[in-house]
Amino acid sequence: MDLTVLPPDLVDAGTQRCRLGPAVMEELRLKIGSPLLVLLPQGACLCTAWPRSDLADGYLQFQTTCTTPKLSVQMFPQPSGGKDTHDELNVNTAKLHLQRSQLKPLTCPHLKRLRVKVLVQSSQQKMTTSTRFIQELAKELLTGLYVHEKHLVNVAGAGTLVQFLEVENVNSGSHKAGLVTAETRLDLGSVQTVQRYQQPARRSPAVPLGGVEEVFASLKEMLEVPLRYPGSLKWLGLPCPRGALLVGPPGVGKTQLVRNVVQAVGAAFVTINGPVVMGSRPGESEENLRRAFAQAREAALEGPCVLFIDEIDALCPRRSASGSAPENRIVAQLLTLMDGIGSDESFIIIAATNQPDALDPALRRPGRFDREVVVGVPTLQQRFRILQSVSHSVPLSSSVNLRVLAEMTTGYVGADLSALCREAALQAILHTAQGRTEEMDGEGGSVGMEHFLSALRLVPPSCLRSSVGVSDFLPVSWERIGGLEDVKLKLKQSIEWPMKFPEALVRMGVRGPRGVLLYGPPGCAKTTLVKAAASASHCSFLTLSGAQLYSPYVGDSERTLAQLFRQARACSPSIVFLDEIDSMVGSRGDGGCRSGVQAQVLSVLLNELDGVGFKTTERRGSSKTMQTEGEEQETIQEKRMELQEVCNKDVMIVAATNRPDALDSALLRPGRLDHIIYVPPPEQQARLAILQLHTEKMPLDSDVNLKDLATQTHLFSGADLESLCKEAALLALQEEGMSVSTVQHQHFLKALQRVSPSLTAHQLLQYQLLFSSTLSCS
Amino acid sequence: MSQEALLSLRQELRKCFRSLEASRTVWGSALEECSPLLSSLGNLAEQLRALKCVELLNTPLAKFPDLQERLQHKLTQAADTVLSKLTEKMDALQVVKDSISKQVFALFQLYEQNSDFLDLRSCVARSAISPSIADMLEWLQDAEYYYRVQYVQRSSLLQMLKPDDLTLMETAPKRWASLDSPSREERISDALFQVSFFLESE
Repeated sequence: MDLTVLPPDLVDAGTQRCRLGPAVMEELRLKIGSPLLVLLPQGACLCTAWPRSDLADGYLQFQTTCTTPKLSVQMFPQPSGGKDTHDELNVNTAKLHLQRSQLKPLTCPHLKRLRVKVLVQSSQQKMTTSTRFIQELAKELLTGLYVHEKHLVNVAGAGTLVQFLEVENVNSGSHKAGLVTAETRLDLGSVQTVQRYQQPARRSPAVPLGGVEEVFASLKEMLEVPLRYPGSLKWLGLPCPRGALLVGPPGVGKTQLVRNVVQAVGAAFVTINGPVVMGSRPGESEENLRRAFAQAREAALEGPCVLFIDEIDALCPRRSASGSAPENRIVAQLLTLMDGIGSDESFIIIAATNQPDALDPALRRPGRFDREVVVGVPTLQQRFRILQSVSHSVPLSSSVNLRVLAEMTTGYVGADLSALCREAALQAILHTAQGRTEEMDGEGGSVGMEHFLSALRLVPPSCLRSSVGVSDFLPVSWERIGGLEDVKLKLKQSIEWPMKFPEALVRMGVRGPRGVLLYGPPGCAKTTLVKAAASASHCSFLTLSGAQLYSPYVGDSERTLAQLFRQARACSPSIVFLDEIDSMVGSRGDGGCRSGVQAQVLSVLLNELDGVGFKTTERRGSSKTMQTEGEEQETIQEKRMELQEVCNKDVMIVAATNRPDALDSALLRPGRLDHIIYVPPPEQQARLAILQLHTEKMPLDSDVNLKDLATQTHLFSGADLESLCKEAALLALQEEGMSVSTVQHQHFLKALQRVSPSLTAHQLLQYQLLFSSTLSCS
Repeated sequence: MSQEALLSLRQELRKCFRSLEASRTVWGSALEECSPLLSSLGNLAEQLRALKCVELLNTPLAKFPDLQERLQHKLTQAADTVLSKLTEKMDALQVVKDSISKQVFALFQLYEQNSDFLDLRSCVARSAISPSIADMLEWLQDAEYYYRVQYVQRSSLLQMLKPDDLTLMETAPKRWASLDSPSREERISDALFQVSFFLESE
């Protein structure tokens, strides 16, 4: 027969009685007041058995005075609870049933000695009361109670400053539990506040982080040095560093990093969230800030403490004349509070932001935030390590190569990679659910490479989500472009080689080119070539057109362009494609585009291509980790990854134009757009290849002679040829009716009469002249 | 054998309840003597605060030398006297509490020793003139717990008093009074009423 658990009786508050029916008591050979261990799913609870006053069987009520810590954590009283804690201590008894076997009678001797840890409500009480008094108090409160080793005794009901007592050990031979009597000697272990005791219990389990070891170590050092070597710091006369600012794009794991560090050091953790601090009344926000600092100060009395301000840019924006007064007041309050921390107080402030430029400059000086740690978008090796740690618990099949995945996931941050892993696992589940259900338990349980590949399509990198230049295009393979073999080779050399053969390039001591300019008459597959190059390598591909760039606001175009490059750098290796670059920037020399905007855009572009350097906030990875890492296990693959990382740090710019003469000469010098590639109109062989490509899906009559057509279509561009094929097919439909089965040669010839070549010999001559002149120019 | 044990236990219970009744009156009277002391303590704290606030040089009393220090000393001394008297009372309360604890503990010892001979059914059996043994044990345990917690609370209240924290001293009478818990007290007297027939039926 099950026992139904009822909420405890108010009469029994403060005791540790467990009310049972007499029949159950007899069955378990329990006497009145004899100890009994109630085993619950969440933990155990030590009680004394008493008969119910109505003598009814089948019910159970018990007081949770002496329980395992895990069980009592759920029942910790709220700070405001005060005397009414009895009501809050009710176990969540909704529909809880117990088996007889879950009641275990114990034999308990009288204790000779025991050692307890005292938990008090506030640290102020802890400071002001003497330990002797606390010891006496603890003794009085425990007398007459049965206690169990490692259990937490709730004495909050007595209304003294002692809230809980944790029994550290009982000295009574093999018995784990015993009765505290007036003769028991009580040793005081330590005195803590309830809050501090609760902290480790409340914390979420740490998420392992990969690839941020360096930042982790530096933060940990900041926390631990004042703890470990207080003497040497005092001797040196140095105040310890007090603040660190974490800067990095969203999703790289700044917040999680801080949580992990805090957990590793075992420090107390106080958080300030911008929106929570903001109050509606004037002065309320400042008060909240002060309260958070006071809380941290109180926690710091008992050990290391971290005050974490997430999204500090919301809390502490740049003060300006136009800013509102309340905001300025908050900033001022934060600054004064940070200055007010005495050097003897061992709490440090860590703030995180993804917009360091939006912060007030006064905040970023030593003494406030001493250190600024840049957590950048993970590099190839970091991604590999992140992938290792996020897929740690996922059953991966042998087909998964994390190195390849790391290469493919350019621009992905930690959050993206874990989303990717989750999505892949989901794909695997869906896959097995759709297929054979019987395989679910066995082979089908693992996640394969194909799942990762399909997940890659669903999870785009987050740094590209709100980006200006992201475009979605159908992948084009090199084979889809007829002819132009030497142009293809050059493009492959510029884009694919650094990715595929980094060691060869490093051996020869060359860097990949910075930029490529494709020029040539319109319709000769310049854009398609770039598409093919982008889809052949796993680069991020960003593109910008003139329409996206220009805006009616002053300075907006320049900012858009700079942002495009910033994002491209964040998720390098990447390709930035600027189509019709002549319309975007023009040339400074000729009088045509002195409009100002174009000249400014040009100057931004020139700077981005080959400027002095980048902002510190865009830093990624570091050489230090690579060296320390490489010493131990320098496998060939790892070395290759390193080389690849070195080779592909940069952004590759590909520009296309059909008016190269309109470009500024500064843009065309080596180091900016080094490779200037002429994309010529197709030769006869190329034309044949193009015609073959476009007529692949067309039912051609046997009399169609593509070679003949290729010779006849001199000065036709690729686009012209495509339109010729289309025209021929339409003509066939027009003349023979809708049921026509093949396209005949005569249709092609007729179409040839209608379609005229878009290029002229004069044009081509101009391009060729330019070609030679630009060569001499550069 | 079980009959004998039952009888001796009942005898012990009677003894316990009688001493509880006696202790209760002692406790009550000791507590009553405490409350005027505490109100005078609060009064002294108020005076100390007033002394702190007043600027004696601006009053006609300015002629008297070192008046502030003297008054302060006088008042602190008075507070000390009151506190020492209170400590005496607390000692009296502790004696009462200890005697109750001792008795109840001894009773439980006796029950445990004889529990092998005592049938649980007979322990929970109630009759018109006497409550069950389980009930009586429970009441005694409750009473013991009540006096122990009361003593702990009151003594810790006095312990917290500091000469430099006047607010704490001022509010002491109020907090002292708030520690009274009439409902618990009532339960003890209820229990004593319920055992009155049992006590007489010797």
